[in-house]
Amino acid sequence: MIYLDNGATSFPKPPEVIGAVKRALEQGANPGRGGYGAAMEAARVVFDCRETAGKLFHCKPEQVVLTSNCTHGLNIAIGSLVKPGARVLISGFEHNAVTRPLYARQADIRIAGKRLFSWEELLDAFRRELKNGVDAAVFTHVSNVFGYILPVEEMARLCRQAGVPFIVDAAQSAGSLNVDLTGWGADFIAMPGHKGLLGPQGTGLLLCGNPGTPLLYGGTGSQSRAREMPQDLPERLEAGTMNVPGAAGLGAGLRLIQRQGIRSIFDREHRQAAACAQQLKDLGLRVFSGPHQAATVSFQAQEDCETLAEYLGKQNIAVRAGLHCAPLAHESAGTIEKGTVRVSFGHTASDDQRKALITAVERRRRSGGRL
Amino acid sequence: MNQYLITFRSVTYAQRGERSLTRRGISCDVMRTPKWMEEQGCGYGLRLRTANIYKSLDALRQDGILWRKVYAYSRDGKAEELTL
Repeated sequence: MIYLDNGATSFPKPPEVIGAVKRALEQGANPGRGGYGAAMEAARVVFDCRETAGKLFHCKPEQVVLTSNCTHGLNIAIGSLVKPGARVLISGFEHNAVTRPLYARQADIRIAGKRLFSWEELLDAFRRELKNGVDAAVFTHVSNVFGYILPVEEMARLCRQAGVPFIVDAAQSAGSLNVDLTGWGADFIAMPGHKGLLGPQGTGLLLCGNPGTPLLYGGTGSQSRAREMPQDLPERLEAGTMNVPGAAGLGAGLRLIQRQGIRSIFDREHRQAAACAQQLKDLGLRVFSGPHQAATVSFQAQEDCETLAEYLGKQNIAVRAGLHCAPLAHESAGTIEKGTVRVSFGHTASDDQRKALITAVERRRRSGGRL
Repeated sequence: MNQYLITFRSVTYAQRGERSLTRRGISCDVMRTPKWMEEQGCGYGLRLRTANIYKSLDALRQDGILWRKVYAYSRDGKAEELTL
């Protein structure tokens, strides 16, 4: 299979990740509970994952909370910062993982920046809304639909300057762009463990610059007589038995990224995405590309996006069509009615993958597809 | 060389302490703390043998790792809290 759906999850997982998951299942018991060898081994695996993440994302190991996915982390973060009815500033390219928790709190949502790839328009609107007064800001680093890289460093700076707490959704950037909890001064940064970080599905990280409010209450293996959750991170936000095999696999993925280097990963993936966008344009498709773009490209054909994606699937090419759980991003880009076909390159990005996609699209045209 | 136990609020802090000391060549183990030492029940500590406990505590302090209490063990195995 030619896998071009890394925006959904990275696939296949590297052998190191699979090996680490297997070892954890064979050797690890429940971390932070017992004092015997297998419990301590599980605790070591979890701590290794936190420590490596802390080095990659510029924070201390205890600021790294293990979650079950990015959505889980965003729910903790939003629950910690956003009171019911609060005024919250977001970008025009947010995923449902951001908007739905805000709708659930009946937040007064203000949207800044709806024009694709335009930092100027976004930052102007962002400054204006901050000046009008907001209680918190939540914004994505990279659009999961269009690969649009938002100017998060500047947005973070503006929030700090205005004294507005903020959350960054690093779902599509962690592992391929610099993410810096301390440097940005974020209250929270949420990310999945299974996309750019190459870990197993069902893993995620929440980097905490703020003690946060627990989403789940229960056992933490410490301070058991206290009726409240512990004050200290990470245990405060990690009630219940942890996903140790997941943490082991994620730790292995993080170490792999450390070895390869974030910059070189970005360059490799971006090179394929940029070339792919150009070739799709040359075939006459409507391609959404521009400056500040990561390794994801969306495009539209005359025919239904799901029909084209189904055809590509039958050619053994995995892409994702539709709205990508991000209706706001599609509304902003004017693609809400038709949706798009999304191609997202990942750690296995290669010329062969790109050429296979282009060949399949050309074949579609020859066989009567309306491109 | 005397034996000591440094207690922490959570396993994560005990593990950070272990890495901090090991990096400086001070050998130690993470262990569950005896029940009577934990007013809130269930905790973790670092067991170590050293001639100078203050050097170890300085190392933890330098790395910003907060401990709760320090116990010194006598030869007959009794632990007594150190007043620092």
